[in-house]
Amino acid sequence: MKRTLHHPDSKPHGRTYWRSLGEYAKTPDFEEWLHREFPAGAAEWDQDPLSRRNFLRLMGASLALAGLSLSGCRRPEAHLVPFTQSPEWVVPGKKLSFATAQPRRRGALPLLATTFDGRPIKMEGNPLHPMSQGASDNFAQASILDLYDPARRQHLTRGGKKVQPADWDAEILRIREEAKSTAGASLAILADEPLSPTRERLRMELLRQYPQATWATYEPLAPGRDLEACSLVFGDNSEFRPNLSAASRILSVDCDFLGSEEGDLADTRGFSSGRRTRKPGDSTNRLYVVEPRFSLTGTMADHRLRLRSSAAGAFLLELARQIRAAKPSAELNSLLSQSPDLALPEGVDPAWIRECAADLVAHGKNSLILTGRRLPTPLQALVLSLNSALGSIGTTLLVQPRRTTPSSHINSLAAKIRSGSIQTLLILGGDPVYNAPADLNWPALQSSVPNTLHLSAIPNATSQAANWSIPGTHYLESWGDALAADGSYLCIQPMIQPLWAGESQIDLLSRLLGQPKPIGPALVRETFAQRSAQPADKIEQAWSDFVREGFLANSTPAPATKAANMSAVAGLLSQIASSPTEDPTSLEAIFMQSPAVDDGRYANNGWMQEWPDPMTKLTWDNAILISSETAKSLGLKNDIIKGILVADVVQATLAGRTVEAPIVIAPGHANFTVSLPLGYGQDALGPVAQGAGFDAYRLRTSTNDYQALGLELKRTGRTRELAVTQEHQVMEGRDLVREASVPEFEKNPAWVKTVGMDAHIPKNQSFYPNPKMDGMHQWAMVVDLSTCTGCNACVTACTAENNIPVVGKDQVMKGREMHWIRVDRYFTGEPETPESVSQPIACMQCENAPCETVCPVNATVHNDEGLNVMAYNRCIGTRYCANNCPYKVRRFNFFDYNQRAIDKLYWGPLAPKGTEETIKLQKNPNVTVRMRGVMEKCTFCVQRIEDAKIAARVRARDSDDLKIPRGTLKTACQQACPAEAIVFGDLLDESSEVSQQRALPQNYSLLEYLNVRPRLTYLGRIRNPNPAIPGARTSYVTSHGHEEGHAETHAEPKSDASPHSSGGHP
Amino acid sequence: MANIFPRFSNWLPIKILVCLTIIAASVVSGMAYYFTPKYTRVGYQPTQPVAFDHSLHVNQLGMDCRYCHTGVEKSSHSNVPGTQTCMNCHTQIKAQSPKLAAVRESWKSGNPVPWVRIHKAPDYVYFNHAVHVNRGVSCVACHGHVNHMEVVYHAKPHSMGWCLECHRAPENHLRPLDQVTNLDWEPPAGTTQREIGEKFVKEWNVKPPVSCSGCHR
Repeated sequence: MKRTLHHPDSKPHGRTYWRSLGEYAKTPDFEEWLHREFPAGAAEWDQDPLSRRNFLRLMGASLALAGLSLSGCRRPEAHLVPFTQSPEWVVPGKKLSFATAQPRRRGALPLLATTFDGRPIKMEGNPLHPMSQGASDNFAQASILDLYDPARRQHLTRGGKKVQPADWDAEILRIREEAKSTAGASLAILADEPLSPTRERLRMELLRQYPQATWATYEPLAPGRDLEACSLVFGDNSEFRPNLSAASRILSVDCDFLGSEEGDLADTRGFSSGRRTRKPGDSTNRLYVVEPRFSLTGTMADHRLRLRSSAAGAFLLELARQIRAAKPSAELNSLLSQSPDLALPEGVDPAWIRECAADLVAHGKNSLILTGRRLPTPLQALVLSLNSALGSIGTTLLVQPRRTTPSSHINSLAAKIRSGSIQTLLILGGDPVYNAPADLNWPALQSSVPNTLHLSAIPNATSQAANWSIPGTHYLESWGDALAADGSYLCIQPMIQPLWAGESQIDLLSRLLGQPKPIGPALVRETFAQRSAQPADKIEQAWSDFVREGFLANSTPAPATKAANMSAVAGLLSQIASSPTEDPTSLEAIFMQSPAVDDGRYANNGWMQEWPDPMTKLTWDNAILISSETAKSLGLKNDIIKGILVADVVQATLAGRTVEAPIVIAPGHANFTVSLPLGYGQDALGPVAQGAGFDAYRLRTSTNDYQALGLELKRTGRTRELAVTQEHQVMEGRDLVREASVPEFEKNPAWVKTVGMDAHIPKNQSFYPNPKMDGMHQWAMVVDLSTCTGCNACVTACTAENNIPVVGKDQVMKGREMHWIRVDRYFTGEPETPESVSQPIACMQCENAPCETVCPVNATVHNDEGLNVMAYNRCIGTRYCANNCPYKVRRFNFFDYNQRAIDKLYWGPLAPKGTEETIKLQKNPNVTVRMRGVMEKCTFCVQRIEDAKIAARVRARDSDDLKIPRGTLKTACQQACPAEAIVFGDLLDESSEVSQQRALPQNYSLLEYLNVRPRLTYLGRIRNPNPAIPGARTSYVTSHGHEEGHAETHAEPKSDASPHSSGGHP
Repeated sequence: MANIFPRFSNWLPIKILVCLTIIAASVVSGMAYYFTPKYTRVGYQPTQPVAFDHSLHVNQLGMDCRYCHTGVEKSSHSNVPGTQTCMNCHTQIKAQSPKLAAVRESWKSGNPVPWVRIHKAPDYVYFNHAVHVNRGVSCVACHGHVNHMEVVYHAKPHSMGWCLECHRAPENHLRPLDQVTNLDWEPPAGTTQREIGEKFVKEWNVKPPVSCSGCHR
């Protein structure tokens, strides 16, 4: 008989938190789903002809046969293969870290690469560099898998046929001859934007040699209008970057600076430093967000207003007027002198803008307004001027010299190609055939050039269309340099020889200049010598410092203090369009960066495909996002059937171009606006990308690269099954996230104890004896919900560190995803205008772990340092532990994910096994690669703990000081987290960060009434709403009606099944 | 008169016999496989590509283990020396010896010498050499008297129970740090290994892990 645990009532009072619209509406399917011990399909074979009984019968027979042939094999002979000549620094079995950097279009990310025996296995942030301070993000973590992607295996080809390197050398010579004879007029180069000074130097040399050559850059999501606006406001050759650590009031208008705006890590770090509230009286920043779709920045907002992107102009003009009203000045008068008088967008309360403006003005130079960098130039110029009027230039908004020199755009290159003057087109990186604006008809344009060459680290659609496909290098395979977002000069150091004999961009360019094939870092050294300006006798030392530390010290340009040229902006404001009317037949389209695959470059990366989108929790697909009201008016729906999202497929038509795609109803999305995530639908890229999502670039044109009006959605009557993880591993609504406003926190800092059942917990006694925890360290973790942005970088970092397999869309739909840490995203409030909270959940490492008591083979036990450890080699796969885990954090290997490709999981036992050699190279050698049939879960990175303990013992030798020095040990999730929301450490060390945070009054544990005593606890989220804003929520605490805890009155549970007691009742 | 036994019972004795035979065969082969020292590879002594003689190098020439196994104090893995290490001496000494042909060949071609692996922990076991030799556990504790082996063989069982014997009672194996690579070290006269070991356990705060996470990650 099934034992029913009488959990306390889930919330007859206060706010409810919900993770999906199904949960909000309490659909019968969701209720049924919730009450299963395992998600449907996770444990059962619904359609499988092989029933459980038959399976056991067969297994019994095969075991008996196995017994007959027990002779087995002794271990085969293996070899130890040492180096013939040992390289310097290499000690077999010991890791080495090297500084390098990942090029990005907005500014490279300074990184450390961890290498084992010559193969890089993990990326970390460079702790020495201020833009990273040791943190990293999803793309940095996932780039390591890209390096080893088997789809990168390629040859030098011409017209699809393999050619020899000598042919390629001859071709370079031919291109040089041709370019010389036309002074370069016949040569065009289309390049991506890695912000590399060496490439910039070679480009200048190239343009000197071939003065009429065309050099164009194209990045589908590149900055452009922000630079235009900045040079308008602050003069040529300038660009800006926010400094959020100094900002106490932030207004973001359609700018996802914590997420897809590629706010680099410094933004997240700066924002969270102002967000962190430890004790009453600490200052907390306040974030206003105005945006069309619910973004990560929106989840952190104290006040969020959903607004269509095309209405941002009207909003900002009103804001400017309100700022002028609150702080009248002559310059604002002149700025607004020619501004059109636009009606406020529907549904926007003027009082909202007024109060927001007043709040910004009150904080003067510590306030900051941001807009999306792809919004129209006049809006951006207006916002820069407003920041200047608020006095924030130099404090929260830094103006620095521009890092790039202007080059032509892909449009002007297209015009040249059309005129027929281009004979040879060399494409460096990128994938214009896939992602060039649709109005250019780039594939046809490219094939009209007599000779096209494409250099790419991974063969993509452009390489297939080009005459020559040249294997390129990954950034971890070649020397290079780059500029960070703050303008500092970074070194890109190779970690491994090119796996498939690639050539880097700068090597290719230098050969095009007629120089011999460069050896090692020669090209970068030359640039370094120019930039570092060191005398000849010091250059060697300076270079080795540069390579060792990863950046040139003091190379960050000082921010300029410039006054905004508001009169230049005033004339532009007349271009601001009024907000369009709401019309279901003419929707607004927004082309958004995919948080998972960026502009499409990570589409063949299994980690990123399986990574749940932070807001929609969608994996392996992208979908059109719309609000529920829009869906209703168009007659579209989403159904959740057995945890699978069955989405209506629509035909989206914009200016005569059409794509078909599923829709996902997104809470908090603006009405009559449609978000189209880019980057999917790349079947050409490789087996992982195949069949994932739709290609939104087909609708995107060069003028409408961010937003467009006039989109039409038409029902097709078909549906598509989508793999969403939002309803997997649900713990029901039991006050898992706890929030308070700043005044509530100041009134009762221990508010978390008044929430839900915590005030009613009787003195619990454990039925089982507590495991002895007498270790030298006692590990614990605290997650601060106030600063966690929900970016999921911890998930990717954990995947990379702990050899977590990719299971594929089919398995995710069955609820079998393997991530050890997941980020639960909760909504609260109405589906149209919700607020959102993110909560990372990993193994709680319960002191009274329920999983341990049910394991029949002692495969999961406690160690003396308070860890709930998992011995894979003992596990027989009963899955009792996962059944008994109240937090749903255990993951089971239903298949041999490391031995079988995800489309061959169901093949029989005799089918060939094995995985790509290169994928094996990425595996962390210090973590077991798990096999089929074993349970796994977060270990608090026990391999790092043991490494640190061993290092302490090796250091101690014959002394007794075995303590791990404070701060030297970090878990993978903690190390990656740019918001520093995760701390980990030793509870026995009273001054450790983790001990101090656990002692805070706002610290609470999940499902505390179960008395499992988790070692992972949370700091309740503290919001800072402005009470003057209309509709502002003042009460966040879902208190049970008691101000203080009153456990005593409940200390003796009644003999009947009281809802307050946590014991089990039959 | 009706049959007392149903028809199928005619075959029952044979069925029982067959089953018993299968069970007996499984038990015998299981014992033969798991209960012999061969299972733990004790005594495994493969022929190496180069007839390297440990007893000659250590006992006669007085070389320390760490001259060749350089990583043992720093890394989890105790490395096998590269060809370069051999050639440090053997460009001068026995430079033409036919026994060293494979080493010279490796030096010339750059291809490593494929030494045959003798000791191997399973993939899910994370043994660390550095922490053992830096805390007074001698090579001899796990590898036996390699210094007396002309051809190295697997001397100890390396099973989990055997590991735990020492982890539960480290005093039986600890010795002064400067004697770790002296494989013939004996406790000074008048003391016993136990006395010395217990002293070190106390002074050095030796607490070997006995939980799963110590070795399985």
